[in-house]
Amino acid sequence: MIKLITEIEESIRISAESIWANKLRAFLATLGVVIGISFVVLMGWAISGLDKALQDSINLIGEDMLYIDKWDWSGGKRWKEVRNRKEITLQQARDLISNLTLAEIAVPLATTWNAQVKANNIFYSGLSVAGTSADFGRIPSGDVEKGRFFSYADERETRPVAVIGYKVAKTLFPEEDPVGKEIKIKGQKFEVIGVVKRQGTMLLDFIDDRIYIPIGNFMQLFGGEHRRSISIGIKAGSIDRMDEVREEARGLMRTIRNLKPWQEDDFSINETKAFEEIVSTFRLYVWGIGIGMTILSFIVGIIGIMNIMFVSVAERTKEIGIRKSVGAKNRSILLQFIIEAAFLCFAGAITSIVFCSILVFAVAKLLPKLVPETAFLQPFLPVDFVIYASVVAIFVGILAGFLPALRASRVDPIESLRYE
Amino acid sequence: MNGKNISKDGQPLIDLRHISRVYQVGFEQVFALRDINLQIYPNEYVAIMGPSGSGKSTLMNIIGCLDTPTGGEYYLKGINVSEFDDNELAEIRNKEIGFVFQMFNLLPRASALKNVELPLIYSGVPKSIRLERALKSLEAVGMADRISHKPNELSGGQRQKVAIARALVTSPSIILADEPTGNLDSKSGEDIMKIFHRLWHEGNTIVLVTHERDIALHAQRIVRLRDGLIESDELNHHRVVFEGVNE
Repeated sequence: MIKLITEIEESIRISAESIWANKLRAFLATLGVVIGISFVVLMGWAISGLDKALQDSINLIGEDMLYIDKWDWSGGKRWKEVRNRKEITLQQARDLISNLTLAEIAVPLATTWNAQVKANNIFYSGLSVAGTSADFGRIPSGDVEKGRFFSYADERETRPVAVIGYKVAKTLFPEEDPVGKEIKIKGQKFEVIGVVKRQGTMLLDFIDDRIYIPIGNFMQLFGGEHRRSISIGIKAGSIDRMDEVREEARGLMRTIRNLKPWQEDDFSINETKAFEEIVSTFRLYVWGIGIGMTILSFIVGIIGIMNIMFVSVAERTKEIGIRKSVGAKNRSILLQFIIEAAFLCFAGAITSIVFCSILVFAVAKLLPKLVPETAFLQPFLPVDFVIYASVVAIFVGILAGFLPALRASRVDPIESLRYE
Repeated sequence: MNGKNISKDGQPLIDLRHISRVYQVGFEQVFALRDINLQIYPNEYVAIMGPSGSGKSTLMNIIGCLDTPTGGEYYLKGINVSEFDDNELAEIRNKEIGFVFQMFNLLPRASALKNVELPLIYSGVPKSIRLERALKSLEAVGMADRISHKPNELSGGQRQKVAIARALVTSPSIILADEPTGNLDSKSGEDIMKIFHRLWHEGNTIVLVTHERDIALHAQRIVRLRDGLIESDELNHHRVVFEGVNE
């Protein structure tokens, strides 16, 4: 055991020396590995950013939120069947909300996309307008940064008040406080009473580009639109209660929609899990491309390392002979060259980790200034991927070093001592 | 008779019985050694002489456990090593043999100290003890002030001294020197021969392979090879004696 440790120590020392003696050659030889490791690490970085973006989105929507909707978020259900479902009317939504007993909060939510507003002599289009109830102010996506959310009284009396999203505020009132200002939606005046906190994530960037108004006002403006369907946001209160709340909502909804026991639900109960599914598909693409590239560059890397190790063995035939003459066993020589290859790859991994760290730091600091959607990128590498990369590099080294090391171990000491 | 008496009592250190070594060259068999019978006892100083092609290199390789005979048996300290595999031979070389080569054969990138330490690495000696023994060994050849020099920073004679220190460091049973002065000027050569002489006096067994008569004359016994056979094996009556070295 001591013998093995001594030999490994010696091998690492020799490796460091021989790499140092041939710096440029070692660098060129490890280029393939450096690129391969860079792929692994950068891929891990992108994925961990994506996971963070997902988590942000989940936190934004609320992990304990259920959304009853005509549409299915995950897109898993047959599109045609979903499209042919009857719309959920405001009355059905209200019936459900008033009959729910287990949920903490339930709000109706009606949305129109591609609306247009005017304020400050600016026309702003492409944003969404949502009609909801005062309780929306109590769920995470209704968190107000300035002013207030509208009240039950506002809602009851259909006062023309609006709470605007972060991006809307920035666009319409870049320099001033939007609270108290007037905006026109579909020609009708609304008073801005609050600004929702900035929430945008990569997956839900539209959320900052939205105006909330009381649902009564919404129905007056947009209620007549073709096939308007209302969704119902339900906050269960805690994750543990999700199942009960879901079952209660489903039962009530089936009664409200007059479904016979043998009929399938003609509505969907959406959860944040749907986002996880979307992200996991995306993640699969990243992995697929990343792994393909990684394997390719590792193959190039292995060939590079193997080649340089064969050269190294040939150059050091005499050294092998000397070592054997003083008692190195074949196994010791094998070990020495495998360790050398592994060490070479490990040095490559370190190079690539340093390089990627600088790159990632620069990108995460600079890119979001140009493309705000990339704000989810973190300025450091994920530690677990740095560890995987190093382990993979060492493994690649062992793989690439094996054949050259085997050749070295079989060198005949008599022949090699004569070698000049 | 000069020098110490040879005691032939007890077990020989090296016992070669009917050793032959055949090389296959194409379809032809070449006999490098035909039928060698040779016993070397502890603390002998033996020179193996012969012209090139006489088989002395092959014999040295077999005695040094770098090669195995194709026929006959080789007992080293009573153990039959002629059937050993590569790894067993490596272990024997590590423990029992100290090589000194004509070309020095030091690792070019390693310091004198690291070179001397090398055999101890392969026997798994812990670092501190390794260092201590390597230093002692370098001291014994008068190279204690050159321990961090690399081979290319040393003269030929100094390199050979480092090589001797490396051969001594494991306290081997045999010091096997192959033309140790072949690449040295006569002054350095004499220094090296003095060291061998002293080592012999300190109780070491030395086998010296050479084709030079002047060098062989330092030994106590001379074995002459010709065409793979022992031509003569006799005590040396014309020994070179160094001044200041106690007989």
